[in-house]
Amino acid sequence: MADTREVISSGNHLAALAGADAGCRFMAGYPITPSSEVIEQMSDLLPKRGGSCIQMEDEIAAVAAAIGAGMAGHRTMTATSGPGISLKAENLGLAQMCEVPLVVVNVMRGGPSTGLPTRVSQGDVRQAKNPSHGDYRSITLCAGNLAECYTETVRAFNLADRFMQPVFVLLDETIGHMHGKAIIPTPEAVTAGVVPRKQFTGAPEDYHPYECESDQPAVLNKMFEGYRYHFTGLHHDKNGFPTEEIETCRKLIQRLEDKVMLHTDELELNEEFMLDDMTGEEGEVLIIAYGSVSLSAKEAIRHLRAAGIKAGLFRPLTLWPSPEKSIKKYTDLIKNVLCVELNIRQYTEEVERVSSRLDIEGLFKVNGRPISPYEIVSKVKEVF
Amino acid sequence: MSKTLMRFTGVGGQGVLLAGEIFAAAKIATGGEGLKTATYTSQVRGGPTVVDIQLDDQEIYYPYANDGEIGFMLSVANVSYNSFKDGVQPGGIIVVDPNLVHPTDEDRKMWKIFEIPIITIAKEEVGNVITQSVVALAIANTMMNAVDKKTLVDTMLSKVPAKVHAANLKAYDLGEKYAKEAMAKAV
Repeated sequence: MADTREVISSGNHLAALAGADAGCRFMAGYPITPSSEVIEQMSDLLPKRGGSCIQMEDEIAAVAAAIGAGMAGHRTMTATSGPGISLKAENLGLAQMCEVPLVVVNVMRGGPSTGLPTRVSQGDVRQAKNPSHGDYRSITLCAGNLAECYTETVRAFNLADRFMQPVFVLLDETIGHMHGKAIIPTPEAVTAGVVPRKQFTGAPEDYHPYECESDQPAVLNKMFEGYRYHFTGLHHDKNGFPTEEIETCRKLIQRLEDKVMLHTDELELNEEFMLDDMTGEEGEVLIIAYGSVSLSAKEAIRHLRAAGIKAGLFRPLTLWPSPEKSIKKYTDLIKNVLCVELNIRQYTEEVERVSSRLDIEGLFKVNGRPISPYEIVSKVKEVF
Repeated sequence: MSKTLMRFTGVGGQGVLLAGEIFAAAKIATGGEGLKTATYTSQVRGGPTVVDIQLDDQEIYYPYANDGEIGFMLSVANVSYNSFKDGVQPGGIIVVDPNLVHPTDEDRKMWKIFEIPIITIAKEEVGNVITQSVVALAIANTMMNAVDKKTLVDTMLSKVPAKVHAANLKAYDLGEKYAKEAMAKAV
């Protein structure tokens, strides 16, 4: 049996379908353009699959309800746009601290503040890295075509359970609303790939959810099954109760860092488009882009190659943690590097950091309009 | 057939989005690639709305129609017509509802402009203003020969409620008739 299927849909509807297929049985949200179709679709899908979908009174309540379902042991999600993330930030920090798995779909629109509600942007990339205060490592995925709205949301659910923390899926207005063909995995293939979160099976008195290896997430058993523990945003001990004991506090926050950063190999995912013939010779062009902008970049590369310019695209699907070694590899090999983003330098600065290069060229746009392939072609011809 | 780029423009609430979805789905049903993108303003009802439709035999990357490459545009609102007409390639086809859109003399030199009273046809001849998107669909396909007609009509019927199938079939036939007449008159 084929393990893929063809669907005609939009990015937002595919993100919702992915959630339902990946075993999400609770969604709480508050409608906000351009993400509203995610919860609209889930309100249809989830009741048919024995789940629940609720429109809460505001963004803060929506993420709180979703975190509650995650605490209870369910696969859970919320969907919003940048202004919603700003409101949810405090509770997202709580989920990081308590180690509650949760998928947050952010369909990006123009900001700051209420910005440009119906227009495309990638202005939340920096926000996704640190939406809340304190030390933790965000896991942020970014879909670059219709099919990935599905596959990246599925991946987000699996990573949330593996790393026991919120996982962001960034779409943008273009990807979320575009409507066309996508080849996606069958529900059976998705189900076969699900690894449920770890559960402690010993005696309840031996259960200490936050007593784990220094590079591993907490083991949070489902509620109401006899395993008792405590949730708090304060620094906490092995059972989740507040503490200020010096070593316990240090180990807890270091573990939040290490559980992600010592396992980035499980997170990294990139697309390398027309890079396999790059040799490092003069005149080669490396474009770095993600999300809907990468679609424009691919068409630009078609034109550039037709004009005799050897160009290729490096596209991270996992934005945070960034694919440091891969970016370094290509920026070491290829001299002419152009970052293209619908924001001002939000990821370019990361590319500069990991490449140790300050001569990275950039093409940025922040007026809510997409970057066309011709703008990329012109920029390449202008700067290289 | 290679790439076809079409643009439908109106104001929010007129239902121009559906025609784009039908075109994309019909093209995909014939084994090709179809993609619809819509741009609208935060003023949902009454704001200028544009739907870009790309039909191609190879994979489509950039989802919007590049300005200057659009072969066909249909407009049922003056504000949208003025905002988006420059995307149409010189010599391209523009269909407007003459009761709502008023092209200039320069426009008529630049593009092949056809005047078809789309809203009136839907409202008075079909008897349901909502069917204007199907009248528009028929006009676009008749003029551009973009997708096999039977596939397009079947796809359209699959996306509208059964109780309005007859009205929408009538809308399609009328759109086709008016498009053929307009083209015959222009020759």
